[in-house]
Amino acid sequence: MQDDKDWAKSLEAHRKYLQRYALFHLHDAALAEDAVQDTLIAALAQSHRFEGRSQLRTWLTAILKHKIVDLVRKRGRGLPANTLSLDENDSSDASFTSKGAWIDPPAEWGLPDAALESQQFWRVYQECCRLMPQRYGLVYSMREVMDLSSEEICKKLNISTSNLHVILFRARLRLRACMTRNWFGTEHG
Amino acid sequence: MGKSMYSCEQAAKLSSQAMEQPPGPWERMLLHAHLMMCKRCANFTHQIAFLRRAAHKVPEAFEKDGD
Repeated sequence: MQDDKDWAKSLEAHRKYLQRYALFHLHDAALAEDAVQDTLIAALAQSHRFEGRSQLRTWLTAILKHKIVDLVRKRGRGLPANTLSLDENDSSDASFTSKGAWIDPPAEWGLPDAALESQQFWRVYQECCRLMPQRYGLVYSMREVMDLSSEEICKKLNISTSNLHVILFRARLRLRACMTRNWFGTEHG
Repeated sequence: MGKSMYSCEQAAKLSSQAMEQPPGPWERMLLHAHLMMCKRCANFTHQIAFLRRAAHKVPEAFEKDGD
């Protein structure tokens, strides 16, 4: 059994990873720092709960996810109030004409999976996520990056399923358009 | 808008929703009919599925650049 000092040291080794993870979701260095700090403190106190069945990083990430969601809930971060007032007919980011036709029709992306190997692709991807309005970006990253279930997100953020679907749809429209402009529609794609 | 045919907006919205919960049989049929005829919406459907695959790999990027 490790003593406390070794345990603290092995936790510390994951701090950078956790910080990048938190920053990706929170877009705010100070908030991300808080989430990571809370996570490491919780982990320090709960060493007996870590049974070594999963990787330490996986275990820490699971704690961090909860901390991020808690912070988001506590501080509002534009949720859920703004999300609830989301206008279903909001046309400020219109992708379609009033008749429901594409304004800028999606062209082919070729074989996009090759891009997953490119570091530059990931920078563009992260930047496009960062550029999404907070109310879309956070829900999108909770669903797709944290891989929380739809039910879990609705419950935690206190939004309806149909609201969640609208938000995810708009987030996907934006992210797809941003990736087309900055990657797939350029010489990279 | 006809009741029996989807607009691109309706088809794209349903494609996105189908990633969260499976559509009913009637909706699924209308969606498939639309996607078979409409390359634009078929592209959209493939691309948002790709974006999900990419999102699942995002944490791997946090492991890189010195750690």
